[in-house]
Amino acid sequence: MRPLEGIRILDFTHVLAGPFATRILADMGADVVKVNSAARMGMNGAAGPYYPTWNRNKRALALDMSHEEARAIGKRLALQADVVIDNFSVGVLDRWGMGFEDVSSKNSGVIYLQMSGMGEGGPWSNFVTFAPTIHALSGLTRLTGVPGREDIGIGFSYNDHVAGLHGATAILSAIESRRRSGQGQRIDLSQFEVGVNLLGPALMDFFVNGVEAQPGGNKLPYDKTAPHGCYRCAGAISDSVVDERWIAIACLSEVHWEKLVEVMDRPEWAGDSRFSSASKRWQHSGALDALISKWTKDHDALHLMEICQSAGVPAGVVQNGKDLVENDPQLRASEFVMKLGENDPLVGEAFADRLPIEFSKTPCNTYRPAQPVGADNTDVLNDWLDLSSDEVRQGEEAGHFV
Amino acid sequence: MAKEHEKVMAKKEGALHGVKIIDLSDERAIYGVKLLADLGADVVRPEPIEGYPLRARGPLRDGEQSAGSSLWHAFFASNRRFFAVDLDQPEGRAQLDRLITQADIVITSDGAFGCDVLDIEDIRLRNPSLVSVECTSFGESGPWRDYLAPDLVAGALGGSVATTGDVDTPPLKCFGELNFVVSGAYVGIAALAALRHARETGEGQHVHVPVHHCIASCLEHVFMWHWYNEMLGNATDKALERRGSLHWSNAYVVMQAQGGSIMVTPTPDVDAQLVWLIEEGVAADLLDPKYQEIENRPEFMRRMMEVLREWVGSKDVQALFFDAQEHHAPYGWVLPLDRVAENPQLDARHWWQEYNSGGGDFKGPGNPYQFSETPWSMGPHGGIGEHTDSVLSEIGWGDER
Repeated sequence: MRPLEGIRILDFTHVLAGPFATRILADMGADVVKVNSAARMGMNGAAGPYYPTWNRNKRALALDMSHEEARAIGKRLALQADVVIDNFSVGVLDRWGMGFEDVSSKNSGVIYLQMSGMGEGGPWSNFVTFAPTIHALSGLTRLTGVPGREDIGIGFSYNDHVAGLHGATAILSAIESRRRSGQGQRIDLSQFEVGVNLLGPALMDFFVNGVEAQPGGNKLPYDKTAPHGCYRCAGAISDSVVDERWIAIACLSEVHWEKLVEVMDRPEWAGDSRFSSASKRWQHSGALDALISKWTKDHDALHLMEICQSAGVPAGVVQNGKDLVENDPQLRASEFVMKLGENDPLVGEAFADRLPIEFSKTPCNTYRPAQPVGADNTDVLNDWLDLSSDEVRQGEEAGHFV
Repeated sequence: MAKEHEKVMAKKEGALHGVKIIDLSDERAIYGVKLLADLGADVVRPEPIEGYPLRARGPLRDGEQSAGSSLWHAFFASNRRFFAVDLDQPEGRAQLDRLITQADIVITSDGAFGCDVLDIEDIRLRNPSLVSVECTSFGESGPWRDYLAPDLVAGALGGSVATTGDVDTPPLKCFGELNFVVSGAYVGIAALAALRHARETGEGQHVHVPVHHCIASCLEHVFMWHWYNEMLGNATDKALERRGSLHWSNAYVVMQAQGGSIMVTPTPDVDAQLVWLIEEGVAADLLDPKYQEIENRPEFMRRMMEVLREWVGSKDVQALFFDAQEHHAPYGWVLPLDRVAENPQLDARHWWQEYNSGGGDFKGPGNPYQFSETPWSMGPHGGIGEHTDSVLSEIGWGDER
């Protein structure tokens, strides 16, 4: 038994943030019914790997909501749901007759989560956003980079994942609240506000001290620690950037520094007065980084990591996706990356990464690949609404469940 | 109207009201405990008599160390009750034991204060529904189990660092410690999921959350680039190099405009973007029929980004951002922190909250979600051991004497 078995989630989300929230809940056993229409997939398009990656462990239902009959089925499903989640523009579910007010009057325990870009209300409420938009507007792009540059930012859609994590947290909290009160409720999650929240201490520093944080490369913004950076190593198999090898070294204490000096075989420069304390090393971190790079450039990153860690120095190889999948012994030991099948209708060979939560009593080891849109029509509509196979087939033939 | 609404909400309880949590987390999990505390859980954070070292983390109020001056701590250790306890003494260890015996959830990070004196399974014999969530860097086994991994190292090994930075910079971490935000959030989810099971069955359990795996699970394209690179027409290798702000799809990138930078994308409606460029008289050769051929679409996108870059360079950044949003184009103005702090959307949603720490009030971040019936709230930030007496009283410490 998985911990969320018995929870029914009607999922109208698309792209990444919403589907990631419901993927986590599905991995933990919730019955997540993913609603799509084959005719209106848009960014959910099953032609690419995005949809298969973020929609495993969900059941795939097709509803073409341009039909009144499909909207009626949507509402009946919402009346059976514990959770309804969407990231449409504000008001879409209301126009379909299945908004929170409509549904909660008959299903008082229902929880609605809307994961819009900007939240409901306010002058930017209707703004269109993807994660790179949120990164830019929230300050994350400006601050993730090096001094003098504001065109770097985070190299992947980080905020989509974090918004999904907050969405899952919100749903589970509302379920706990409902246990106590019997009442559901509506949750308005703004992906923009999630992003801004991540800069909490920096914003407080601005409001309290008038200090505006600046991009600092690999330095910690508020701790005078050095060395604290990424250093080029030997072993690149080509001139391509992707084949470069790097190691991250983070000395957070005097002990870390002393151990690193030992690992480097006590070079003469390490005794320089510029490096005699943490604050001096931080002050002269440019010179220090250059000297450490001279040391690392002739060494294999993996070897350096092993001798640093053996000596008690925090250090790690900068791993790319190929390293994670093919070489990472820690992920391999836990079978974190796995093949789901050879002949998946969406992707052929199907793969997945595990939920990174290990439950001792309710292990979550069930991984069903994402299904083509509508593949679970009969099962879902039978389980949730008691429709017969014939009724489902008639709906499909009429173009309502496609 | 807004004030009336606030009054009504103030009388209501948070979503997690009544959930008792003991917080023995460090940086790796503390964000998740914050999420639960801010949602109304009763979170007790044990700390050494002299205070937890994290109370000294910057940024600091007025830049100086003093009681309650850590803004980092005010943010991440919000809404806690602080319980000072001497774990070198048998009495202190017994107090912590009893505290957890009466809790719903205990959250630990290996090596954090109190974690090495606990026998969770022994406590579970007396509190069978106890949920224990342990956050470690790499898991309970494996060759890297004991590796030291502050945020930068965790991000390097977890894959986020390789993905960030540009060809002429080193691989870069995200600002602050955002890898630990991910692991912390997973800890919160793990706790709530196991709590749900305990509520349904009475059965508690131990839950493990490895930071390394959490980071690897939140890398957007990285795994699909490896697994499905043949489906991605522009994938030539099993990994993608760091390349500044250019998204893996080649369709999002930060460009220089007049007066600032802006993230520009012709997606999701490329045709609408093309019409906009035609209206502006800058469509160049984008209407060339060759671009209608499916095999030329990657070249079309590359050319589209070239045309956009030239056009954007002539535009005022602020006007372009709002014009783009009028066109339903998800451009994003690259804002510095002072502009974020005065954002009209956040003001209109009354997003900012008042914090109180060290005797002073100040403005800070608000809630990442708004619940219609169970308010999110920010209470005053407690000093070292401020709630020790009330915590001991609640667990009945001394009643038997």
